Amino acid sequence: MLRGTVHDSAGIPVRGAAIAIPGTTLATRTDLEGRFRIPAVPAGTVRVHAGAIGYGFVDTTVALTGGDSTIVAITLRFAPLALPPVDVISDKVPHFGDRPSTSVAQVTEQDLDRRAVNTVDEAVDHAPGVQFVNGQINLRGSTGYVQGLNSRVLMTVDGVPMNQGDRGGISWDLLPVDEIESVQILKGAGSSLYGSAAFGGVVNVTTRDIPNGVHTRVRVTGGLYGDPPHSVWRFRDNPGMVGSVDVATSYGNDELGGRIAVGDRHSDGYRQQDQDDHLHFAGKGRWQPSVNTRVDVSGAWAVDRYDVPLSWCSRGECDDQGQVFQPFKVDTNELGARTDSRKGYLAAQVRTTVSPRLAWVARGSWLRTHFTDLRRSATEFGISDRVGTEGRIEAHPDSTRTVIVGAEATFSDVTSDIFGGHTQSEFAAYGQSDQRVGPVRVTGGARLDFLAVDGGSLTAVVSPRVGITVPTDRLGPNGGTLRASIGRGFRSPTMAERFVRTTALGFQVIPNPSLTPETAWSFEIGHTSAPLFRFLRVDAALFWTEARDLIEPLLVSGDSIQLENVARARLAGLDASVIAAPIPHRLVATLGYTYLDTRRRLAGSTTEGPLAFRPRHLLTLGADYSLGPVALGSDFRFASSPQSVELEGFVDSRRVPVKVLDLRARWQQGPVELRLLATNVLNYIYDLVPETLAPVRTITLTAVWSH
Amino acid sequence: MRTAWLLVALATACGGGLAPEPICAPSLVGVCGTVRFRGAVPANTENVFIAAYVNFPQTCTDLIANRQPLIPGSVPFNDSLSLYSVALSPGTYHWVLAVWKKPGALTLTPADTQFLRVGGYYRSQADPAQPGTVTVPNGAAAGDVDFVVNFDSLRPATDFVTCTGP
Repeated sequence: MLRGTVHDSAGIPVRGAAIAIPGTTLATRTDLEGRFRIPAVPAGTVRVHAGAIGYGFVDTTVALTGGDSTIVAITLRFAPLALPPVDVISDKVPHFGDRPSTSVAQVTEQDLDRRAVNTVDEAVDHAPGVQFVNGQINLRGSTGYVQGLNSRVLMTVDGVPMNQGDRGGISWDLLPVDEIESVQILKGAGSSLYGSAAFGGVVNVTTRDIPNGVHTRVRVTGGLYGDPPHSVWRFRDNPGMVGSVDVATSYGNDELGGRIAVGDRHSDGYRQQDQDDHLHFAGKGRWQPSVNTRVDVSGAWAVDRYDVPLSWCSRGECDDQGQVFQPFKVDTNELGARTDSRKGYLAAQVRTTVSPRLAWVARGSWLRTHFTDLRRSATEFGISDRVGTEGRIEAHPDSTRTVIVGAEATFSDVTSDIFGGHTQSEFAAYGQSDQRVGPVRVTGGARLDFLAVDGGSLTAVVSPRVGITVPTDRLGPNGGTLRASIGRGFRSPTMAERFVRTTALGFQVIPNPSLTPETAWSFEIGHTSAPLFRFLRVDAALFWTEARDLIEPLLVSGDSIQLENVARARLAGLDASVIAAPIPHRLVATLGYTYLDTRRRLAGSTTEGPLAFRPRHLLTLGADYSLGPVALGSDFRFASSPQSVELEGFVDSRRVPVKVLDLRARWQQGPVELRLLATNVLNYIYDLVPETLAPVRTITLTAVWSH
Repeated sequence: MRTAWLLVALATACGGGLAPEPICAPSLVGVCGTVRFRGAVPANTENVFIAAYVNFPQTCTDLIANRQPLIPGSVPFNDSLSLYSVALSPGTYHWVLAVWKKPGALTLTPADTQFLRVGGYYRSQADPAQPGTVTVPNGAAAGDVDFVVNFDSLRPATDFVTCTGP
């Protein structure tokens, strides 16, 4: 066994550092005290790679004698421009020190702390190339906005797919943000390993590991929503408030560990009919029955009851005070609309390292969502259960090659008054090989998915992908890299899309069980530079996606809408990011820019237009300055107005660009930390979705005590 | 990076964002409000416009000659709700209505009534069966003058006035 510690040059433990023995299945992370252990390391001299966010990469050798534990102390040097040690990402296997052949944006634990965010989606929203549209994530414009009926992005938590069984959407509030260690955002089609929904990308959430010893964390947040900037928009006498309490405690030793977390949140909301009450429980356990085997169990349960503002008040729909629209008020016909939601998951994973060259992983999971929409016009409900299992073998036949093969099965069951009662089964097999040829790394793989609805005939989808990474200098893992990849993505229609029967905007929405999967070919070529002028690093990628059979609502008769595979689309553009550290140890600045050009054409038509809800320009700027226990930071986000929206002509046509400035401050002393966050500090009033006001100025103060 | 932050400051300073939009522009002298449409729009609809009368017209001649504004404007009728504003002279108006028009050239004579129908009128708050009175103040507008136009029950001018000739 290899044991050790990782410290920085000042002797402070580095938590979350990745440790790996290259060319093998052996890898781990350091705990809160910077300790690590890797079992089953063969005797002899082995290379050890170590790295962490914000630190330079270390490649060292260690001599192990048979049967003994060897202890190694590793020192990492501060290097703000160092590339993060991408360890388990698009390939589902450790590739420490290797850059992936597709673009990846990382949100680290330090980012989560620095940004003082309170929810997972707030953290992801600031990553380059990512935009949230009323709760729906867009990677390079993949999803747009479809009122929660699907998602073209897959979310996994510790490798477990978490898209809802009925609507395919993502429940961002299922996990408390304190449970998150990092988020990796894979851009572009990822179906070759992840299957359906990875059409436009994958968001991999990694939860915190359980350190040895007793640890407790208490987090209390209180805040205020800004008043409307114009008195004619006032809708209440007192400012809205938001508050939450989260408590998590854990205990672990070398063999066992467990953590429980509980939290409660109340928000008055920033507009009329916008209250939200949220309660969650989360837990995680680990058990190491032998040196080669580790068992992880995790789960969460969240209960929400939130008002639904639906659409803002237009002239005559409320006390409009002589205004054409009242963005902070709702149509009085929709007063009282709310949703009760319960959701949770349970997952278990076993990983056995058979030898340094071979490991296998098996997991099982259960995801349940239950919503009840209470409206004046109707009450609708849906219950979905999604049970999944996956087995995977990781092999390193030699030091230059990695092979994985796996199989996955998922069964979803839906009971709803608007979707009916239906089932969907998915079976898949996949494989991927990575081959290093000199400095070049070539990746190739494919996945075969079979889908069946209500036990009917199988639909097969093949999703291949190939990629290559080429170093462009001799600086090793921290140097420049050229990457290119092409892959196929697909998204199976959700059961909501196939079977929904409801009324929307006065139209009858009728089912279409014969929907087929959307497919896309996605290509990108990108380059990550080596550090420039010692304080700057640039990453840029050109991307191109050709999508077909996109599912969109179509007017099929005078008053009926049906979802059909009708559209072809092209999404192309440039994704660029810059990180600069002009004052070492003090100032870090970031810039992210995405240019997106979309073309959409209906089947049988020669007329092209832009895809709805996609901004052409997306810009994010950030800067953080730290001095001793104090840190100050800011973010600015700009998104141009979308060129079109769905149901144009039936909805309010007002569209303005997004210009949002956030400010933050942090103070830390010992186990206590205070975070002040002001989002949309200029109280800029905008909408991303017609007749839906985006968040206004919100100021929160968070106190965290860690033991 | 400094340039980038200057761009931020510039973009932020440019403002923008959504702002209140009064139905009645501050400079308007006249009436303003909404028109809600009901029923199926007739295929031969050419226009819907707002008209106002200081005194309730008695004849077809009054109906055409005393109409303000004399040359009608138009209100979009494809959505279920439209906003309108009409410039009028200060004074008290005893009949303010929405008029439906089918194709045909207006001659500003009583013969125009063959192309026109009463779509709906502003109603008295006290007695909704009766027309309401609207006062346009000096230098300002009378707001909240709202109508409902039911395309399924358009009424001819002769339901309201006496017409002796074409």
